[in-house]
Amino acid sequence: MNDRLSFYRKKNSPIHTLNPFTKLTLTLALIVIGIVGGGYWTASLAVCLAIAPLTIFSKLFGDYLRVAFRLILPTAGFMFVMQSIFIPGGVTELFRIGPFSIEVETVQRSYLIASRIFLMVSAFAFLLLTTHPSELMTDLTRRGLPPQFSYVLISTLQIIPQMQAKAQTIISAQRSRGLDTESSFMKRIGLLVPLVGPLVFGSLVEVEERAIAIEARGFTSTRVKTFLHDIPDTHMDKIIRWALLALIIVALASKIWLS
Amino acid sequence: MQTGFTNQDFINFLIVMAVLGVVFGWAYATKRMQKDFTTTTWVLIPVAVAINIAIGQLVLVLKLPVYLDSIGTVLVGVICGPWAGALTGALSNTVAGIIFDPGWWPWIPVAAAIGLTAGLCANASFFKTWWKVVVTGFLIALVATIVGSPIAVLLGGISASGSSLITAFLLQTGRGILESVLTTNFIVEPIDKISTSLLAFAILDGLSTRFLARFPHGENALLDQQRKTSELVIAVVIVVILVIVTNVFVVPLLNQ
Amino acid sequence: MAIVNLQNITYKYPLTETPALRNITLQVEEGEFVAVIGPNGAGKSTLCYTLAGFVPHFFKGELAGSVEVAGQESSQSTLHEWVLNVGLAFQNPFNQISGAKYTVFEEIAFGLENIGVPREEMKQRVTDAMKLTGISDLADRSPYSLSGGQQQRVALTSILVMQPKVLVLDEPTSQMDPIGTREVFGVIRTMTEKGMTVVLVEHKVEWIANFADRVIALYEGQILLDGKPGEVLTSDLLVEKGFGISRYTSVARKAMKLGLWKRESLPVTLEEAVEGFTR
Repeated sequence: MNDRLSFYRKKNSPIHTLNPFTKLTLTLALIVIGIVGGGYWTASLAVCLAIAPLTIFSKLFGDYLRVAFRLILPTAGFMFVMQSIFIPGGVTELFRIGPFSIEVETVQRSYLIASRIFLMVSAFAFLLLTTHPSELMTDLTRRGLPPQFSYVLISTLQIIPQMQAKAQTIISAQRSRGLDTESSFMKRIGLLVPLVGPLVFGSLVEVEERAIAIEARGFTSTRVKTFLHDIPDTHMDKIIRWALLALIIVALASKIWLS
Repeated sequence: MQTGFTNQDFINFLIVMAVLGVVFGWAYATKRMQKDFTTTTWVLIPVAVAINIAIGQLVLVLKLPVYLDSIGTVLVGVICGPWAGALTGALSNTVAGIIFDPGWWPWIPVAAAIGLTAGLCANASFFKTWWKVVVTGFLIALVATIVGSPIAVLLGGISASGSSLITAFLLQTGRGILESVLTTNFIVEPIDKISTSLLAFAILDGLSTRFLARFPHGENALLDQQRKTSELVIAVVIVVILVIVTNVFVVPLLNQ
Repeated sequence: MAIVNLQNITYKYPLTETPALRNITLQVEEGEFVAVIGPNGAGKSTLCYTLAGFVPHFFKGELAGSVEVAGQESSQSTLHEWVLNVGLAFQNPFNQISGAKYTVFEEIAFGLENIGVPREEMKQRVTDAMKLTGISDLADRSPYSLSGGQQQRVALTSILVMQPKVLVLDEPTSQMDPIGTREVFGVIRTMTEKGMTVVLVEHKVEWIANFADRVIALYEGQILLDGKPGEVLTSDLLVEKGFGISRYTSVARKAMKLGLWKRESLPVTLEEAVEGFTR
């Protein structure tokens, strides 16, 4: 569980040294262009021609494929199949499975939706693979995001594995006392309370002390924050960001005027 | 060009997002939002997100026909206010998208609306007795449906969740996609959100007054005096009436 | 000149009837090392919270009297400015990890980032503080992967690095072995020699006897005794009121009744006991 919480893979590549904000802009630009940028194949092309080369460039193509096959493809594929089968409205029938008719139009439509979801997730997977969450949050805080957001996101990512471990301990403890997840419906509802109770109350009572601890370290200080790590932001980064912004504008403009 | 959805669907989506945007913008501009974010609120939010995710997984293990993945969100909404509740919901889905399956991301506005509604109801003293909590749960379900349905339509109406089978069935009977999605949500959501609210209520009931006093709206969770059995009867009656009212009046209205 | 000046402090937590602190008047000199002892519920933690500004700023409730540190009045200040005067570390190390950082080095720097210390100075201060508390080798570890004792040292270092004028510690060695405890007391001694004032709540009376300048015994929210460690820790009142006392003191007290302990004052530490019995 623990390693799944952070996709980040440390590598020595030009992509890794880019400013996190540049990578975030790149991610958003890919999504916007892939979705509004006209054609039927745009989203798929954005994945093949932009995200795939970028991950190769960051020496993370293998990791990207693993993420894609484990997370994205099943979801997108399942939606594609379900939608092709169940959504009516097509004219040209392709073939029939029992009572369901599969039409060309619905398959096309499902493909479009599935490929866009695939693009969106691929773009974020690329961002998370090449950018450490704390680096991204530090950079965004430096740019004016309230520091509490950084705290809240990073500490959430750190608390969840502990909570899952606690949940696991509680489940195994109950299992050894004869908890049966296959028992009758009412029994399973009854099980919820002894499982949830210790988990929730245990973590809630900690809140007060944790608040005191971060207050004691100036969490609410009104002074101008400083940062331990220097996150470089080169001229190159700025040029890339402006270029991406221009691309987004072109894509949006062409969408408005050409359609 | 193929868009996969009609312009009307897209406009529905934009209207819902615009309403949410205006509500948050107003709260931010009038400083209503800022005063709820104390240090204890900031510390509670990650814990609540972890509670959402851990309980969500427990429910999967127990194979119950509900999600119960918003208990933490409702909890924060009640004792820290609607804006903190909204942030908790949004963050839960963001994080679930990172660690499980990115299919959670499109539902971020729904999760935020759940926290928001829970907070608004609690601020109106609607989280103090069993029957009021049931009404709150129902209102949460209603808002979740209104915000969620346009998103579901944009995504094609069918996702990987089990309730999509109902939608698929309705679609095959020749109903429109918005109607199918709305009807599905009206069947599934109230059960889930009322259970969620009741569980959150039970948890708050178990916390000490001294602990609740640490939070900006802790007083929202202090119980009224009540007679339990009659309260439950009232609660059940209210649910039945609400379900009938929405199915008879609201659904046809939305489908016009 | 007294750096800490409490005048007639009486405090009630919200929604409670009995005050947690009653009529506490207390002065602490700059560079002094004061230990606070007391049974459960005596108000030790509340006293710590009061010094550190969490009473009344965080806990609300009714506070009467005045809390002055370095000439400033706590009720006139804000909590986030007050933490620069008084630093607080407490017992449970796990809850003191901020959660916002991935390594011990970053964790210790968290407070300095918040109060806006320039980067180079920050790195220097973190490195120095870690060397002082002996955790330099943990710099790149995740704070969550550490043992309880190691986490307690990280928590202590995280506060030390902020260089408060007064350091308030509420049982900071509860999860440490004797070696760790000795090192922490050594660190506290070093800090007081540099002019930092330390108020420490601790059960380990033998360590207090060896290191502290002064001991305050709290009982039911009031100061019962206040004086030199040797006098306070051997007082008959402590036994009467159910304080935890040194086993060497108990043994010597019994020995005294049997006429086997010849000295007038009772021992607290093993060394004192050995000396008293052998000569």
